[in-house]
Amino acid sequence: MSGDVEDEFLYDRLIEAVALRRDREAFVQLFEHFAPRLKAWLMKSGVSSTAAEDFAQDAMLSVWRKADLFDARKARAATWIFTIARNRRLDVLRRDARALPSPQIEDEDDLPRPDDILVQADEARRVREALTQLKPDQVEVLRLAFFLDDPHSEIARRLDLPLGTVKSRIRNAMIKLRAILEPSEESPR
Amino acid sequence: MNSTQNPSEERLIAYAAGTLSPPEAVVVAAHLALRPANDAWVRRLQAVGGEFLQTIDPSALSHDALARALARIETDAGEARAPAPLNDMPELPAPLRRYELGPWRWVGPGMRVRDVHAPRDGDCRVILLKIDPGRETPRHTHGGVELTCVLSGAYATETTRFEVGDLEEADESVLHRPRVVSDEPCLCVAALDGQILLDGWLGRLIQPFVRL
Repeated sequence: MSGDVEDEFLYDRLIEAVALRRDREAFVQLFEHFAPRLKAWLMKSGVSSTAAEDFAQDAMLSVWRKADLFDARKARAATWIFTIARNRRLDVLRRDARALPSPQIEDEDDLPRPDDILVQADEARRVREALTQLKPDQVEVLRLAFFLDDPHSEIARRLDLPLGTVKSRIRNAMIKLRAILEPSEESPR
Repeated sequence: MNSTQNPSEERLIAYAAGTLSPPEAVVVAAHLALRPANDAWVRRLQAVGGEFLQTIDPSALSHDALARALARIETDAGEARAPAPLNDMPELPAPLRRYELGPWRWVGPGMRVRDVHAPRDGDCRVILLKIDPGRETPRHTHGGVELTCVLSGAYATETTRFEVGDLEEADESVLHRPRVVSDEPCLCVAALDGQILLDGWLGRLIQPFVRL
């Protein structure tokens, strides 16, 4: 599904270059690849173009600041940047005006966990392969579930499906995904 | 294992995607700290998110976007905020340690509550709840979803037993009366949405005085 077959580890190396040398040229490449994708992600949930671009800017600044926490053995570049953006999203977009800030969630979540042996460097490849084994409509609901703020009712509206169908389609896609990615664990939960 | 002691797949995907309401995300984070298998699954889901991010159709940025980003990193002095200090409860799992906590409040016989100063979402908020052995909370229903994670001890409802790390999802359709079944007090973290409506004589008696 990804077009980066010829140099799968390019973005991992770019983040490491930022971490090691504060390499601005590497940051430019990361920015040009990921900022338009982060913007697109936010816009899918109905955020305005300007707000989505501000979000992408802030997320990429976090990438610059936190590059030394990146560990390609724990999570690949796209996953790591997705996680940073996801934490910002949780922290910023949904924050109640009366609420106290919660910088701690973001900081704790980004730290690699030394005992995290399950997530290996080939996780992204396995996930990519697993997604190709799902039915296209299952991939579509999963994708929307990741991008939309209020996934169930929004997916139902966009795909013109009853709410119950959306929920069972997401659940079936998740069960299939688990069966592919965690086959050895008979009762993973 | 009974599926009600784990988060639903929808809730995990919302957590992984960052769309879960912040109070619920706090409770799920506590659960994941106590359940490594579910934590590993959420990390896999984040790899799914990474793959979707990689393959999304990009949106063009404004012309000066890169210049602005470079100007920001040029003048960036790093994170201005130091991590919040640890709170006074070292027994809490790591995701809960840096939230400020309100004072313990008595809310019924053998039952204390303190607020967790995590981000709210409308009426939804996070509390710690400590109930003595053998006590049961007044029977109650909820205005909205209640998400509870056991941090120490254990409690049981009419149908299910909840141990350390277990997560209970209850909504307005559930009328329940949790009873502490461990020898030690049961400590829970919960996200409450809306006012809890207490049922029964004790509930009616204390309802005017307590706000859960």
